[in-house]
Amino acid sequence: MNATGIPLKEPSVSAAAGATEQLERAYIDASTRVPVLMFYTSAMAWLILGTLLAGFVSFKLHEPDLLSNISFLTWGRVRPAHMNVMVYGWASMAGMGTAIWLMARLCRTVLRYPLLLVAAAGFWNLGVLLGVGGILLGDSTGYQWLEFPGYAAIILFVAYTLIASWAVLMFRYRRGEQIYITQWYLLGAFLWFPWLYAAGQLMLFVVPVQGVLQSAVGWWYANNLLFLWFGAIALGTAYYMIPKVIGRPVYSYHLATIGFWTYALFSSWTGMQRLVDGPFPAWMITASIAAMILSMIPVATVGLNHHMTMQGYFPLMRYSPTLRFTVFGAMSYTVFSVIGLLISLRSVAGYVNFSQTSIAYSHLGLYAFFTMVIFGSMYYIVPRLVGREWRYASLIKLHFWASAYGIGLMTLMLLAGGFLQGADMENPSLPFSETVETVLPYLRGRSLAGILLTAAHFIFAYHFGLMLLGLGRTSTVPTFLNPVEAETSGGH
Amino acid sequence: MKGLAPLFLGIFGTFAFSWVGLTVLPNWQIGHLNPQSDEEGTDTYPQPQSGMFERGARVYAANGCVYCHSQQVRPEYAGADIERGWGNRRSAPRDYIFERPVFLAKMRMGQDIANIGARAPAEQQSPPPAGAAAPAGSPAQQVGSPPPGASPAAAGSPLPASSPAQAASPATQGAAVSSPPSKPASASQSPSSPSPKPAAPAPPTGVASPSPGAMANASPGATTAPSSAPQIAGPPWPEQTIGEPPMYSAAWHHVHLYSPRSINLDSNMPAYRFLYEKRRIRDQRSVDALQLTGSDAPPEGWEVIPSFDAKCLVAYLMALNQSHPLNDVRSTGGAPAASAAPSPATAAGSPPPSPAPAK
Repeated sequence: MNATGIPLKEPSVSAAAGATEQLERAYIDASTRVPVLMFYTSAMAWLILGTLLAGFVSFKLHEPDLLSNISFLTWGRVRPAHMNVMVYGWASMAGMGTAIWLMARLCRTVLRYPLLLVAAAGFWNLGVLLGVGGILLGDSTGYQWLEFPGYAAIILFVAYTLIASWAVLMFRYRRGEQIYITQWYLLGAFLWFPWLYAAGQLMLFVVPVQGVLQSAVGWWYANNLLFLWFGAIALGTAYYMIPKVIGRPVYSYHLATIGFWTYALFSSWTGMQRLVDGPFPAWMITASIAAMILSMIPVATVGLNHHMTMQGYFPLMRYSPTLRFTVFGAMSYTVFSVIGLLISLRSVAGYVNFSQTSIAYSHLGLYAFFTMVIFGSMYYIVPRLVGREWRYASLIKLHFWASAYGIGLMTLMLLAGGFLQGADMENPSLPFSETVETVLPYLRGRSLAGILLTAAHFIFAYHFGLMLLGLGRTSTVPTFLNPVEAETSGGH
Repeated sequence: MKGLAPLFLGIFGTFAFSWVGLTVLPNWQIGHLNPQSDEEGTDTYPQPQSGMFERGARVYAANGCVYCHSQQVRPEYAGADIERGWGNRRSAPRDYIFERPVFLAKMRMGQDIANIGARAPAEQQSPPPAGAAAPAGSPAQQVGSPPPGASPAAAGSPLPASSPAQAASPATQGAAVSSPPSKPASASQSPSSPSPKPAAPAPPTGVASPSPGAMANASPGATTAPSSAPQIAGPPWPEQTIGEPPMYSAAWHHVHLYSPRSINLDSNMPAYRFLYEKRRIRDQRSVDALQLTGSDAPPEGWEVIPSFDAKCLVAYLMALNQSHPLNDVRSTGGAPAASAAPSPATAAGSPPPSPAPAK
């Protein structure tokens, strides 16, 4: 559809379907405008806050005396505040924004009950705000990933119930028999999350389990949140965006089916591998390690599927921001899983279990994989909501490279530092302080990476702000990263 | 995929499988453990903890100690935890049955502290609690008879090689702490640190008072001044470079929390000064006042005292102690290699000296 004949952003299906479908789609997009923008805008605000907190955490780790006399700025409070802002503020809200938009599109119906979503977004923000405030004031529960005090957790849960019920309602209004791959993942995410969250809360706070099982439940929760909530949303989004942007159907439907069910089955059994050699029955840990190994099946099938879909279209990453971010994220899924597997093998885990490596792992999952996919989807969706195209290709490029180099550097630093730290720790002839000395330079490197990421997020937030204010370009052609005329043969 | 039913069923089924497998089954298996006790029904371990312990755990959670300190000792085949002196046996589920939250944790930017209470100097465990407000609640101290005499001798043996000073010193401290021999890293520090510092500075006023609660442990330190601090460390816990309250005593914890780098220059632990109050000395220096030296010391006429939260936190730390043997877990150096780990628990092979919360 665009001048050059490169099928960017204009799916081939639409060519066949014609103008009616175009119109219908525009109509659906318009109906999602308020709720989705509300989720996105909140998410952006949390992203900026979380980024600032992250920088603070990172610097304080090697400059421990920085502002340490103020109770609510002590490292041990800012760190969980950062984590929760990112997980529940940024990642969950942005993910839900994308998921809502995709649901409306894929159900091929205008968004019903927008007020439900607006209320949910409001409650969710309130919950995160109270939770983070609670943590900073010293109300943290002490369970990692579930630090929010009870009063915040309840509000989050109420907000979430609204969203899940909306998703189920929407599903009843859907048109067409076919349920697309993306919808499997999204429906899964929408249904798994409440169960997961409720189970975590119940087993830790309402009817708490005894002793070490609290830790088991905690890691089961954290891991499943990563896979079944964030991972499912990101994979579903990638399954939509990649084919959509290059205008080509998914390579294999069967592979996708296998990928989805093995993903649901195996990745949900992981989590205990983080407790290797801890005070638990060995079968729990072994089961999770086995599940990590079996998780290579969905990784391989999903990776292969995306790769084969992209086959011959990789050059399009030069032009399409969405594609570039999404493919980066989809590739990171493979890296994330492989590294996750490596560090959970018993022989390796003995070394890295208590080091910075696990931080690298979480960032690979939540940032390199999930966040990059969501950035990609936002580059696709926001113009369709505000009716403007992104204003500056240069800012998008800057955002991409700062994010990509930032997360790459951070991962390398934490992985390398973590391995050395772990190896030192296993050498009892070295005094413990030596292990800390070893990792400190890498932590400084991580802070450097953090500066890159901070720059990326501010650039994106600024660009997003322009779009919100209606200052984007008015054009029928989407914003490409590079001028398209130069090369015409995107086809191979 | 056609039809919603299989999709829904699959989504629920897979998740239910994981939920049952990883949380319900384990709960059935190890979710209802009881404390163990010997045939006579005495010597029960573990035991429920005091109110100060619980509040201390909340302070521990609130301030995110868990993000840097683990509380689990891995078995000897799995890591160097035991060699590092973090415990004399692996942690087991039964160790944690009364803890909530449980802080196993995943990160060691700081040391593992599953057994930090077991390291308290023996004196700490009996005399000071007498009148002291601060540590009174801490179960660690309730042990009746400090077993200083015997163990240090044992502990002494591996060490003297490194420095003669140490050989002598353990005696003073009762070295309940002692250590695996592995490496005398502390040796280098011992000469340097004790120097003159400990004797003089802040405490004198406090020491003057005869029953100075937490301060009590300053006095033994002061008398044997130079060697007091380091030898307690024992090889694997050599982290103390300066400072005078005996390592891992309540007073030491307070100084460490208030100013970590006054004790170990390389530490990157944040200071928790907001848990302490700096105030003008009223008629007499408080028995709780911290023994601070150097630039941390408050100006003349002022003192730094712990808040109630700080006292609870220290009571909590002092009570972290997994040295009691468990029937289903083998302690290192149990029978055979006693020399290897004369740590509290080995001594505790026999019931009495075990620092278990008596009473």
